[in-house]
Amino acid sequence: MIKLERVTKRYGNVIAVDDLSLEISDSCTCVLIGPSGCGKTTTLRLINRLADPDSGTVLVRGVDTRKLKPEDLRRSIGYAIQSVGLFPHLTVGANIGVVPSLLHWDKMRIKNRIEELLQLVGLPSNIYANKYPNELSGGEAQRVGVARALAADPPILLMDEPFGAVDPLTREKLQTEFLHIQRQLKKTIVLVTHDLDEAIRLADRIGVMKAGRIIQFDTPEAILSRPADDFVRGFVGTDRALKRLSRMIVKDFIKPVSSLRVGQAISEVRAAIGKQPSVWVTDEGGQPLGWLDREDAQHGKSIENSMVKINLSEIALNENSTLRVALSRMLGQGFRGLPVVDSAGRLIGEITLSDVEAATAQRES
Amino acid sequence: MQVLKKRFAPKNRPPFDRVTFFASTVGLLAFLGDWFTVRPNRLAPGAGMELVEAAGPLVFAVLLILWHSGLIFSFNYYRRGFARAFVIMSVLLPSIILFLVGGVAQSLAVQAGESGRVSVGVGLWVALAAAFLLASVVIPKYSPGAGFRSLAWLTLVVLPVILVASGWLSDFSVLQEIAAQGSRFRQEALNHVRLTGIAVLLGTIIGIPFGIWAFRSQRANGAIFFVANITQTVPSLALFGLLIAPLSALSFAFPVLRDFGIRGIGATPALIALTIYSLLPIIRNTFVSLDGIDPAMIDAGRGMGMSRTQIFRRIQAPLAAPLVMEGVRISAVQAVGNTAVAALIGAGGLGFFIFQGLGQAAADLILAGAIPIILLALLVDTFMRLMVAAVKPHGARL
Ligand SMILES: Nc1ncnc2c1ncn2[C@@H]1O[C@H](COP(=O)(O)OP(=O)(O)OP(=O)(O)O)[C@@H](O)[C@H]1O
Ligand SMILES: [Mg+2]
Repeated sequence: MIKLERVTKRYGNVIAVDDLSLEISDSCTCVLIGPSGCGKTTTLRLINRLADPDSGTVLVRGVDTRKLKPEDLRRSIGYAIQSVGLFPHLTVGANIGVVPSLLHWDKMRIKNRIEELLQLVGLPSNIYANKYPNELSGGEAQRVGVARALAADPPILLMDEPFGAVDPLTREKLQTEFLHIQRQLKKTIVLVTHDLDEAIRLADRIGVMKAGRIIQFDTPEAILSRPADDFVRGFVGTDRALKRLSRMIVKDFIKPVSSLRVGQAISEVRAAIGKQPSVWVTDEGGQPLGWLDREDAQHGKSIENSMVKINLSEIALNENSTLRVALSRMLGQGFRGLPVVDSAGRLIGEITLSDVEAATAQRES
Repeated sequence: MQVLKKRFAPKNRPPFDRVTFFASTVGLLAFLGDWFTVRPNRLAPGAGMELVEAAGPLVFAVLLILWHSGLIFSFNYYRRGFARAFVIMSVLLPSIILFLVGGVAQSLAVQAGESGRVSVGVGLWVALAAAFLLASVVIPKYSPGAGFRSLAWLTLVVLPVILVASGWLSDFSVLQEIAAQGSRFRQEALNHVRLTGIAVLLGTIIGIPFGIWAFRSQRANGAIFFVANITQTVPSLALFGLLIAPLSALSFAFPVLRDFGIRGIGATPALIALTIYSLLPIIRNTFVSLDGIDPAMIDAGRGMGMSRTQIFRRIQAPLAAPLVMEGVRISAVQAVGNTAVAALIGAGGLGFFIFQGLGQAAADLILAGAIPIILLALLVDTFMRLMVAAVKPHGARL
């Protein structure tokens, strides 16, 4: 969908983008990452013709962008600029409505779209639509910037550090939301970030840039396990193994477990345990309550008396958590295995330290 | 002891309100000067009269007490209830002074006889200036609400106007001079407003495009500001003079131009000069306002697919408007003053009375031109400030 062929862009003596080639396929999230001044923003601006290349070609949907009218090209590409750049004289709603109004949407449609988008970025429209940008926090402004880029539902999105100014918690939430939205909307996205964890989490492809060139363009897994050179290795850092875990989802590694229900007769229980050292115990609804050791089961009178109770929220893992969370939970709680629950809180399996180890080893090769 | 203690302000507050104190002190100092000058005729030198001897002890005492109330208030400004009463007092004070001295002037005029003149002395000028100053400080600071404040401003302006219009003050020589001019005065005042208005309008129409050009083209910028700055350094009188020669040459060469009013003297050269003068503030403010817009705004607009015209209409124009309007305000206030000089080359306007008064050594006639010019400048200034506020985009107000 987006293709840069041997593109070079100079500003005076500075070579901002140097003989760069890049191909981003449809519905793909490509994240550009690299040190300050390496040409990330310039690369984005080459795509929507805010900058014209000195040499090379930029193709969008197979068409050389030089053949398109810049205004038309840009209206079909959402752009969230690095400095947010909300218009101070327009309300939040009017800011979001700019591109739709340039496209001559009717008023009602624009109004509905504004509400929808504010909802999407987590800013209730009854509170925020009529505020002015100077009444927003940095993070709120950034979210409005993202909503504005999405306004006309463009097939391509260019986002320059869209979550740069929000706190880690909100950022985490917005990233989750981003992934969720992207699964539905399937846009072609080029996103710039300084945050490697963000890149690993969001990207289908990561482009690591240095001095106007792309050093490595690959899947997050490949970037982590096979850094192309010392620069990428240094950039990825020594905790690559841990970072890789944040792309793996617990759901893919769980093993089914047998479990007991409170209220089952103790004789039944002994048979069920068999040779296992311990078994998870759930309530009638399937929510884990604790575990029962084999020895205690041999002497105990009932499950309730013999089991070890657990604090559900501290121990149980959600099936959508990352392996990184699982590992840190295991280390923090001193457990070799943790129960995994679905979104309703029902026990669906177990994940153990050796599973995590195996996952690491398997991708390392 | 008890009484003394009460007079000190509570902690964390300044002990007294400085501006009120200052204005009241000046108002009291005014009592030391002459309030009236009585002359046997229009041009003769006159004798000064202090307020007590001219008005008697009663009027003197009333005014003295009112001015003291300002002093008292300046030490008690933080007390509840005091503020409202004091705003009312300070709004009425200028009119009270005018009313009282108007009465005094009437009796002095009777004593002075048919050709005698009563004019305003230094003390009265100072008292009036201090009273208006006091009100203009007190109204915005101590009015209990927006409605109250608007009403206070209105009263401050309207009551003196009524007093003047009613003829209560007509025994003062300045007003007599104006009355003696009859319809001439109204005509020149109108002339003044017209010259100023047209010049500023032309200045705006020409200046804004030049400001935009200076912003868009680096090369034009240098040339435009070089020329505009030079025009500002030429004294207005010299510029008027400089225009006489080429224009009269032009009108002699093409007599048909004279039918359009183009001559060496008169309204045309005055308008040209006044327009040139009004250009610089407008060009400068237009340039500065456009130049000061955050480039990220323009970038965001371009990135969203706005054309150059759309960026100008939707982003640059609304963001630049307040500063541009501020430039127009500066030009307009300046033009009111410059137009006074235009009378020298026969363009008319209120300056006419000033120069006539200078020629006849008639101080009152000079004032008859100068005071309306000052009032007009204040009026234009106020109106233009409202315009600036009106074009300020909401988001920039906080
Ligand atoms: N309009 C411009 N004029 C001159 N030089 C520019 C311009 N835009 C970018 N550059 C230069 O090009 C180089 C790349 O800039 P770019 O903005 O693409 O960096 P970046 O990777 O986005 O950096 P950051 O992470 O700090 O945003 C820098 O050296 C910068 O100084
Ligand atoms: Mg950048």
